[in-house]
Amino acid sequence: MGRVSRPDETRLLKAALAESEEQALEKERQLQRYAADLRETFKQERERAQQLRQSYVATVRALANAVEARDAYTGKHAERVAAYGIAIARAGGLGLADEPETEFGFLLHDIGKVAVPDAILFKPKPLNEPERIVMEKHAEIGWEILRDIEFLGEAKLVVRHHHERWDGGGYPDGLAGEDIPLAARVFCVADTLDALTTDRPYRSAVTVARARAIIAAESGTQFDPAAVEAFALIDDDELRQIAGTELP
Amino acid sequence: MTDSIVLVVDDDPFIRRLIAMTLEDVSGFEVRQAGDGEEAVEAAAADPPAIVFLDIDMPRLDGIAACRQLRQAHGAAPRIVMLTASGHEQEDAALAAGADLFLTKPFSPLDLLRLVDELGAT
Repeated sequence: MGRVSRPDETRLLKAALAESEEQALEKERQLQRYAADLRETFKQERERAQQLRQSYVATVRALANAVEARDAYTGKHAERVAAYGIAIARAGGLGLADEPETEFGFLLHDIGKVAVPDAILFKPKPLNEPERIVMEKHAEIGWEILRDIEFLGEAKLVVRHHHERWDGGGYPDGLAGEDIPLAARVFCVADTLDALTTDRPYRSAVTVARARAIIAAESGTQFDPAAVEAFALIDDDELRQIAGTELP
Repeated sequence: MTDSIVLVVDDDPFIRRLIAMTLEDVSGFEVRQAGDGEEAVEAAAADPPAIVFLDIDMPRLDGIAACRQLRQAHGAAPRIVMLTASGHEQEDAALAAGADLFLTKPFSPLDLLRLVDELGAT
């Protein structure tokens, strides 16, 4: 049986209802404030991460430029090599193409040359044995310079191993085959490409076609065959675009 | 050494829990709760807090009266933050009772964390 409410009871119920509605609304407003703060914090966090990444890139470029500033001949060598390397990694469908560490390693590969005396670094003639030993130290020294920089991660391995050879005849560790970090294997092809297609004090640049033939001939000896194959997929136009100038 | 205590006093358990959850683990404080002014005075007598969040409108003993009693019992030591609704007109009374700061509801959790950070550092 339904109960008949008296008028004052109805009024009390209405008042209680209004009160609890107001309390619910206050909780709602408080939760909205929390959500708004959370969104704002997330946005700031994202911006800060972005800024941090940009400072990493700027710092790495500054370091790479410091090496290049000494050597007028190589010009924008590090940036070109980094771009060639990324293009090769991408053509080979290698995930490392998208990791910033890869580019950092490519840009910084020769940082150890800061420790090589001018007389050796700029000698216009072939190096003798003691000079060659000093010169070859640059890979290990570069790694030593960067070893405590955590954000460089795998990049440090590129710096250390960028003169290893697929057949094990390189330096500093004489690693062979897949024991050489993948990014370093890719890098070797890019480095050789740039060295061959730019003028050096002791020889002039060779044509892209000639560079392609030289690199292909060293597949499986100096270079990882997979890296050479990936390189072969890149057409001359793209290489020209990266070089930013007419390639020979 | 034990953590300093933050005492959160509000008759609304939702607000108490929200503040407690926000401050736990990040503030370096131990968070205690009380449901009204009387409970707050008892809790403070048992373990003197470094910071008190005190709702201004509560049954039994309200925030202003509780603030006055806390100042009497503990002097200037605890930092007392009065929780007020926006447009509250009792700020002068709260200051006279010894409140240090105000936090207006609905409050920003970031402001809350910054506040405790600053109070904890001083």
